Amino acid sequence: MNLAIVRCAALVIAAAAMACAGDLDPKWQLDHTRIIAVRATPPGIASGQSSTIDALLGTKGAPTSVAPPQLAEVVSPMSLADALTSSGGTWTVTAPSEDRLAAARTELMLAADAPVPLELGVSYDDQALIATKVVFLGAPADNPMLINVMIGGQPAPPSGSQITIDKTAKTLVSIDADNTVFDVEWVTSCGTMHDFDLPNAYLKVESDDPTSGEFGVVLRDPMGGVAWQIWPIQAQ
Amino acid sequence: MTHTRGSVAQWFRWLHVSALIVAGTGSVAWAQSPSPSPPPATPPQPVAPTTPPRPAAPPAAPATPADPAPLPVLPAELPVIQVTGRVTDVLGKPVAGATVSVESDAGSGTASAEGKPAEAKTATVKTDRNGSFTIRVKIGATLVIEREGFDPGLANVTAATLDDVVMVKAGTNAETIEIRGEAPAAAPGAEVLDREELQRIPGTGNDVVRALTAMPGVVNFQLPLGYSGVVIRGSSPQDSKVLVDDFEIPVLFHNIGFRAIIPAESVQSLDYIPGGFGVEYGRASSGIVALTTRPGSDKRTEQGEISFIDGGLLAQGKIDDKTRYMIGFRRSTIDLILPSILPSDIDLSLTTVPSYYDGQLRIDHELSDKWRMYLSAIGTNDVFEIEATKEDSPEEAKAKRFYNNTRFIRTTVGAQYHDGPWSASLALSAIAQQFIFEAGLIQEIHVEQPAVTPRVEVTRTFDDLAGLTKVAWRIGGEAQVGRASLDLALPVEQREGEPPKSFDPKDVSTRFNGSFWVPDFAGWTSIGANLDPRIRATLGLRSDIFARNNEADLEPRGELQVKLPASLTARFSVGAYRRPPEYQTELLHTDIGSEHSLQTIAGLQYEPREGVRVQTSAYYTDRSHLITTNMDGSLGNNGRGKTLGAELLATYRGGPWFGWLSYSYSHSTRIDQPGDPERLFDFDQPHSLNAALSWKKGHWQLGGRFQLYSGLPYTPPTGAVFDSDRNIYNPTYGPVNSARAPMHNQLDIRVDYIWHSGPVEMTVFADIQNVYLNESVAGYFYSYDYSQTAEFKSIPIIPSLGLRGVL
Repeated sequence: MNLAIVRCAALVIAAAAMACAGDLDPKWQLDHTRIIAVRATPPGIASGQSSTIDALLGTKGAPTSVAPPQLAEVVSPMSLADALTSSGGTWTVTAPSEDRLAAARTELMLAADAPVPLELGVSYDDQALIATKVVFLGAPADNPMLINVMIGGQPAPPSGSQITIDKTAKTLVSIDADNTVFDVEWVTSCGTMHDFDLPNAYLKVESDDPTSGEFGVVLRDPMGGVAWQIWPIQAQ
Repeated sequence: MTHTRGSVAQWFRWLHVSALIVAGTGSVAWAQSPSPSPPPATPPQPVAPTTPPRPAAPPAAPATPADPAPLPVLPAELPVIQVTGRVTDVLGKPVAGATVSVESDAGSGTASAEGKPAEAKTATVKTDRNGSFTIRVKIGATLVIEREGFDPGLANVTAATLDDVVMVKAGTNAETIEIRGEAPAAAPGAEVLDREELQRIPGTGNDVVRALTAMPGVVNFQLPLGYSGVVIRGSSPQDSKVLVDDFEIPVLFHNIGFRAIIPAESVQSLDYIPGGFGVEYGRASSGIVALTTRPGSDKRTEQGEISFIDGGLLAQGKIDDKTRYMIGFRRSTIDLILPSILPSDIDLSLTTVPSYYDGQLRIDHELSDKWRMYLSAIGTNDVFEIEATKEDSPEEAKAKRFYNNTRFIRTTVGAQYHDGPWSASLALSAIAQQFIFEAGLIQEIHVEQPAVTPRVEVTRTFDDLAGLTKVAWRIGGEAQVGRASLDLALPVEQREGEPPKSFDPKDVSTRFNGSFWVPDFAGWTSIGANLDPRIRATLGLRSDIFARNNEADLEPRGELQVKLPASLTARFSVGAYRRPPEYQTELLHTDIGSEHSLQTIAGLQYEPREGVRVQTSAYYTDRSHLITTNMDGSLGNNGRGKTLGAELLATYRGGPWFGWLSYSYSHSTRIDQPGDPERLFDFDQPHSLNAALSWKKGHWQLGGRFQLYSGLPYTPPTGAVFDSDRNIYNPTYGPVNSARAPMHNQLDIRVDYIWHSGPVEMTVFADIQNVYLNESVAGYFYSYDYSQTAEFKSIPIIPSLGLRGVL
């Protein structure tokens, strides 16, 4: 192996990971139109059980919202396309019979007891925003819990409660989560997040940052589970 | 006792140099500064009228130079003519930078009109990169050819065109006048730069890498981040090889500063062969860059240099009459400065500040009249560790950690033999190399690949053979046996033309942990001969065996050189080339083969007068068996490609002026799979222009370089699909390489001032790149969801200040 070349690959990875954002919106910026997370409740279901689909959406110049998809469809496996149904604007996945799940496992070359990943495609904003989401069939699972969320040294208030922070100081935030297993994402439209993808992060309001907006945290587990909490925030 | 005192004195002088540096501006450099005066290690060797050059005069020499007999009167009647010739070493390589002067004696014809002896040397010129020279002398004159590291040579002027002068390494005391065979035709478009020329090309900052960027055919880009090789004629970095003392090195420049791993001060010459290289070179389908380390000279010198980027020391000289040495060491200094210039509010911890160490060693020893040995060692250690966070918790910080350590040392022991028509070179080279890269918690590359390479080549020359003249036959072989130990946990690799995927720190789709042997073997032979006094042909055949891939190849190559009237020389070259599968994870796949190329090159060289040279070439390269990704994700040899282009290089050397103009046109396309549309190579660069001028007089040297070149192609994203569970956006792209970054232009200037402080020659310099602050676009960044685009601009200005001391 040519070290010169392998170094090329490695440095490209590093450069990609550390690329200076410049004028680009960082990933923690809530004031940006995008799908922040798609949620299946629950993310894993046994045969005959159902799961509903919705998503946390960010919109530039507006608060976040939670909404079911405008459109959704099964991406894979197509043999289970009828597992997804829509009724009254709500999209629901219903796990088929064990026989059909067994056939799907064979199709996907999965172990006999493995959960069957049903990949969904969802869209919002007239298909300007598109996302994929996997619901596991044949293995019940719940979305993760947000445990011990701390903001500025205090336990986080209930969702929707106003948070007030000192705009002259760092506001430390933390959550109990093992970042080798869970994916943590702190988001805000007020101030600048530092280490937004680590369990321990901090928020600092710079001189050119907005002093009010929203603040939140999104937690993902390795099996498609997701949970979030959003608060209005003001820096004084 | 004398020896001891001498040694102490030398150490004292060494310390004096160091003290001067420390007491100076604090910014001194050796790899940065073009030597404003003749290199200290290569002083002209003054020859008194009665002190003959060491080698014996040729049989045809009219008189022994040592003969102090009074001169007859006839020289004044002999006509003065313009004489051209070429100087080569015993292996036929051109000897550039050799001093050619006229030795005055009874038969030389250089005596004055009054019939009195003139000065010992009435005219002096230097050989160019092809070893060629032109000088005006009288018929019957004796030319003295001198070059550091070689015994002086003599040649009789009997006609306007001289036979090649073959120089032998210093100390062999062999006669150097007889023609032992003509050098193989230089590849069309090839260049040879010696150290002095490397240091004089303006705007290259006395750095090998930056000097390469002035070559026609070398792809330029403002920020060569992530690439360690040289991109030649629009192909890919892995298609060309970089050699030091005939053996491949894995990296040419450092992670930071884009500095070469070997300072120009440690380089004797640089051979740039963009294509059409001879059978002695292999494992490359595009071009060759061959560096030769600097042998010590008769005059012992020490020098030190430091700049804002790095600093080092170099010592060279002779140990005794038969042994010379050169030793150099360099360390980065930018790591001492970087932490203080990084903004405090960015989330970055330089756990291990980017730094590097380089070392070079060369010892040359003359065993006998016929044998010369050398030991060459070159090494580097390049390391950095960055945590993209200021998080105090070491465990959490690991998730945003990037660590890289690249290091290697290559040691070569060689012997060269020359006896009459026979020449041989034997070498045994070993390399120890290690590469470590760790990103975040789970992604990593650990590679160790030591290798040993024995190499032998024998050359036999004949004045006449089977009706041909100046016949040179060479035969050689080498074995490169390495053992690779790899531990990989990486995302699926991105190959040529594949646009970048979204960065996923948890993606380790490519995994391997194991060791295996990589044995490659090669043999070659070639014969070159003059078919006619003006036509020389060389035919060769190389065979490569890539044993890990069960592949054996035959690569025929041929060259034709035709001397035309009016100082024109035409060259034609056709050859087959192979690049073994060793790029990225190719070594893990034993079922793929080498990439092939068939190169066709035509060139024309025009040298209307001394110091002026214009060289053009046109080429077409057909590429096949390109390694590409199949639909199922495996690798196969399904790609095809082609490159066509033309190059121009014009140089001027006259008085205090040195001018350089190079232009390249190239169009490089490929098809990755049968039925796929044709697309551009990632490094297709249609236009590249370099114009440089330097002026050197007295204490001053001023220089500038203007560059204008096309931006590189890129594949524009058209959108992205959010993978909610992995929390990444998977981009969708338009046609591959269907867009191109804008053209770039910049002006670099450099000013050197030289003076003496006691026994030390000091140089202070200012080197400014991109003086008019042209922030052109080198590429584009995309937001995490690919909905926003930002320009990735070149560095607006790079100033550097330095000081150098040579004792």
